[in-house]
Amino acid sequence: MEQFLSNNSIYIVLIIVLIVWFGIFTYMLNLDKRLKNIEKNMSVGDKNE
Amino acid sequence: MIWKIITFLLLTFVSIAGITFPIVENPTAWYQFPIIPGLEEKAKIIFFHVPTAWITVVAFLMSTVYSVKYLRKKNLEDDIKSYAAAQLGIIFCLLATVTGAVWAKFNWGTYWNWDPRQTSIFALLLIYGAWFALRSSIESEEKRASLSAVYSIIAFVTVPFFVFIMPRIMTGLHPGSANDTNAGPVINFKMDPHMRLVFFLSLAGFSMLYYWMWQLGYKSMIIKDKLNQKYY
Repeated sequence: MEQFLSNNSIYIVLIIVLIVWFGIFTYMLNLDKRLKNIEKNMSVGDKNE
Repeated sequence: MIWKIITFLLLTFVSIAGITFPIVENPTAWYQFPIIPGLEEKAKIIFFHVPTAWITVVAFLMSTVYSVKYLRKKNLEDDIKSYAAAQLGIIFCLLATVTGAVWAKFNWGTYWNWDPRQTSIFALLLIYGAWFALRSSIESEEKRASLSAVYSIIAFVTVPFFVFIMPRIMTGLHPGSANDTNAGPVINFKMDPHMRLVFFLSLAGFSMLYYWMWQLGYKSMIIKDKLNQKYY
């Protein structure tokens, strides 16, 4: 495996890119969820006033 | 939710395909790309660099559409949407400039050499940079919104010229210039069909990612505005 990766280092680039992309995607999903919660709370608050 | 998963899958596939699919002399399988003389392995930048430039155009267009909407209805949320779009537009414009410069170093020998394409994107950055300077210099919300809406509409008039026309009618080093006989502009479909498939998937994936980022951007700004009105 290590030998294969050192001969075909483009796959190392691929692994790094995929890790970065998975990280960004998870972050965006979390941010999305958080924003939706805030929006829900705010609309409930508006009704109570 | 489904479209977010599709975005994830699309961009994951594009990363795998764009980085690892081999470039060979006579492609036979769908996962092989042909050699473009003068570009070789570096042709793969098309799957990542061109979509960023594409998003720039889409974002600036959306910014203009919401500017027009604002001027018609005077709804401040439209101004926020226009602002969020332009923000992403300038971020992707910078990404296109930087990725292009890195590529140019290895294809042309220098990071920057005022190729028509580089000059035009630089002008675009200046035009939209001025838009943000204009916005930050006006305190009154309504005044800022209507002035920046008008500026945004005028600024967008230059975008098709700078992105699609000027770099194509002038001779230069960038693929798709007037004197380019190899790669040709993507728009005339001279591109290899296998490459085109991955390229269009990449455009779709990036567009959806942009749309998502834009939603997050304007929603948070609208919430901030509402909170400001409530407590101050």
